[in-house]
Amino acid sequence: MKNYLKLVNFEVSRFFKFYLILIGLTTFSQLIGSIIISQVYMKNAKQVMAEQQFSMKQYIEKYGTFSFYQFQQSEWFLLPIFLCIAMLMIYVFFIWYRDWFGKNTFIYRLLMLPTERITIYFAKLTAIMLLVLGLIALQIVLILIEKQIVNSIIPIDFQSSFSIYDKNSLEMWGWLYPNTFSDFILIYGVGLLLVAVLFTAILIERSYGLKGIFGAILYGLLSLGVFFVPIFLANFYTNYFYPLEIFLLELVACITVLGSAIWYANHLLKHKIRV
Amino acid sequence: MIEVKNVKKNYGRKQVLKGLSFTAEKGEITCLIGVNGVGKTTIMKAIMALTPINSGEILIDGEKIRKESFEKITFIPDTITMLPQMKICEAFAFMADFYKNWNFQRAEELLQFFKLDPTERIANLSKGNTAKVNMLLGLALDADYLLMDEPFSGIDIFSREQITEVFTSHLIEERGVIITTHEISDIEHLIDKAVLIDNGEVIKEFSVEEMRENEGKSVVDIMWEVYQR
Repeated sequence: MKNYLKLVNFEVSRFFKFYLILIGLTTFSQLIGSIIISQVYMKNAKQVMAEQQFSMKQYIEKYGTFSFYQFQQSEWFLLPIFLCIAMLMIYVFFIWYRDWFGKNTFIYRLLMLPTERITIYFAKLTAIMLLVLGLIALQIVLILIEKQIVNSIIPIDFQSSFSIYDKNSLEMWGWLYPNTFSDFILIYGVGLLLVAVLFTAILIERSYGLKGIFGAILYGLLSLGVFFVPIFLANFYTNYFYPLEIFLLELVACITVLGSAIWYANHLLKHKIRV
Repeated sequence: MIEVKNVKKNYGRKQVLKGLSFTAEKGEITCLIGVNGVGKTTIMKAIMALTPINSGEILIDGEKIRKESFEKITFIPDTITMLPQMKICEAFAFMADFYKNWNFQRAEELLQFFKLDPTERIANLSKGNTAKVNMLLGLALDADYLLMDEPFSGIDIFSREQITEVFTSHLIEERGVIITTHEISDIEHLIDKAVLIDNGEVIKEFSVEEMRENEGKSVVDIMWEVYQR
């Protein structure tokens, strides 16, 4: 356990400089974006009201209110999020491969640590999850600050009510910011499952070389298949299963996929891995 | 004692190790000798469970390798096993964090012996100094067995002499060492046992001293006999 925590700390530290850059870029882009978008809206509103001799009410009737959602759809808000998602997706692969390639042969040291080798897998998996959750926490804080910025520039009468859980927002960001704790567990549980399967697929490739690439693809497809079986069943036999039964089937499928990913990764790290 | 018993290993269709067997005793320096590509590094990796074997058995003091074994045996490959962006002192901290048998005093002693600056980044070190750091990381562990893969490869003459000095010092005493090299002349006078390997098999295993005393032959003489047949 102690070694696991040390390794998690080590893995997070290795990415931390780059992580700070991502945090910096996201914060900068979104805060600047919220100021620019709000100011542009107010400038236009004032200009139109002056030119057309509109009152605030008339302007709102004709052009509508400002919604925070408009800002959320702008590049200022979206681009850094997509950048973070893309970087973390790349990092899922890079977190393993960087230990093998180039001048860096740190994998020798990792595999020779006096600890169960599966600890390395768990540590890397935890590191990825912590990095993801960290960015989500940052985004929630940023949205609250951005809302204050918008409020300070655009009078409240010009705005429609907004919550990060409102209808539009929910459709767009529901998967990123789950509404309930059970949704959170479900969505991020599936995320964890996906990363665990990818990690095991990487280890298959690292253990069997070229043959391993095909093995990894096959393993990935198989895991995906098991994951989707309950969903296929629900769609195929409409009204045959109770929702709770489908949920339980899906839970069993998820546990099977996660359990087999960990078991196989452990086997590969112990007996098959090649440096 | 490290026992390698009838180990077979294939890379694809090519059989690299063809039932290779030898033993390495604690307190002795055992040298695996053979030309490049003969399977020396593969054996080292197989002992450390860094590559799977197809059949055979490898035992360390009568046991198969397990997590606790890594406190007992350490491998110094011909490439640095620490992150290049780390400073030497950070590499020490990493080792101390994970290994109960990390000997700080010995690490400091080696640092002075090799004249290394602990604040230097590994990425900025010369090839010779990188090899010294690599060796230091292995030697500073209170391990019973040390595996060294080509410790002299591509290193300048002064670094080579310093590393050779290590073999005659208390840093190696009492430990079992397996060393691979294809440049035997540098360490011939230091080794206790030679294991000549060719084509994935042990073709001769002998005590260097006995050979010298009984037959008046050096390791190089035996190599000429065996490899030129």
